[in-house]
Amino acid sequence: MRYLLVDRVTGWEAGRFMEGVKNVTLSEDFLEHHFPRFPVMPGSLLVEALAQLAGWLEGAGTGFKSWLLLERVRSVKYYGFALPGDQVALRVEAAGEEEGLRLFKGVAAVEGKRRAVADFAARAVALADYEDPEEQRARFRVLRREAPFPEAMQ
Amino acid sequence: MRFLFFDRVLEAEAGKRIRAVKTFPLSEPFLAGHYARAPRVPGTLLLEAMCQAAGWLVLYSYGYEVACVISLAENVRLAPGLRPGAAVEIAGEILDTNKRATLARARVEERGEVIASAERLIFPHFPSANPAELERRFRAYGWLDGLPAQEPSRQPAEEKG
Repeated sequence: MRYLLVDRVTGWEAGRFMEGVKNVTLSEDFLEHHFPRFPVMPGSLLVEALAQLAGWLEGAGTGFKSWLLLERVRSVKYYGFALPGDQVALRVEAAGEEEGLRLFKGVAAVEGKRRAVADFAARAVALADYEDPEEQRARFRVLRREAPFPEAMQ
Repeated sequence: MRFLFFDRVLEAEAGKRIRAVKTFPLSEPFLAGHYARAPRVPGTLLLEAMCQAAGWLVLYSYGYEVACVISLAENVRLAPGLRPGAAVEIAGEILDTNKRATLARARVEERGEVIASAERLIFPHFPSANPAELERRFRAYGWLDGLPAQEPSRQPAEEKG
């Protein structure tokens, strides 16, 4: 699998929040073993999707100078499953800083019903140490459905 | 990727504890993009490894008559800098259990140092549809059939010397 767990960014405000979408499809290889005859998106990957969305918030908000590495999950509570065919609406909100870590509250919901709620903390790092910042900027344009897609085809 | 986060079970004691090993070779597909310039094991997959070890311990403890999923994880610390080539040991421990749910904790160690931990993991139980199949999978995944009778020389911490 490509370890990209955000398909689209639908709204954001630098330093405050970001909203996005993760589509769950039966062709995801992680559903083969999680679980046989009972495919559900792993809860840890819902946390990963929220953490990646927080990364995009950090990246886009800093002109792709900074990124985030997840260090703590203070709590994550699961209310139900994200199933093949579900579109998971993701939202992360910045919730301050503590001990040098950025704090976030994240919610993953399907059809308006929450599936996971997570409080987590991540460390800001220089993006260029981990990814090519220009590549990351181009990926963000794809997530935002900006260039290179012709406007008439959206 | 195969979403299985232990390579071998070293020890399982029903109702009490489990120890397993997991290695992270550079060939893991998730390391290709996480990250392009600096492959690092995603912290959430360490959480997954802890949940899988503790979850299988629940199934093993109840003779595979129950299955379980995670409903809550609290006070989880993750190592964001784990590099390819790491061999970690995952330890899960049941703190409390009844017919309806299990409370567990878990940790991940690399070379004897704790690099990740989860203080509280809650697993609601539900009836297992096919206990024999669960047992077959656990033994197939976890090498339980070939589990030596706790020979210290076979344990990875010893092998690393």
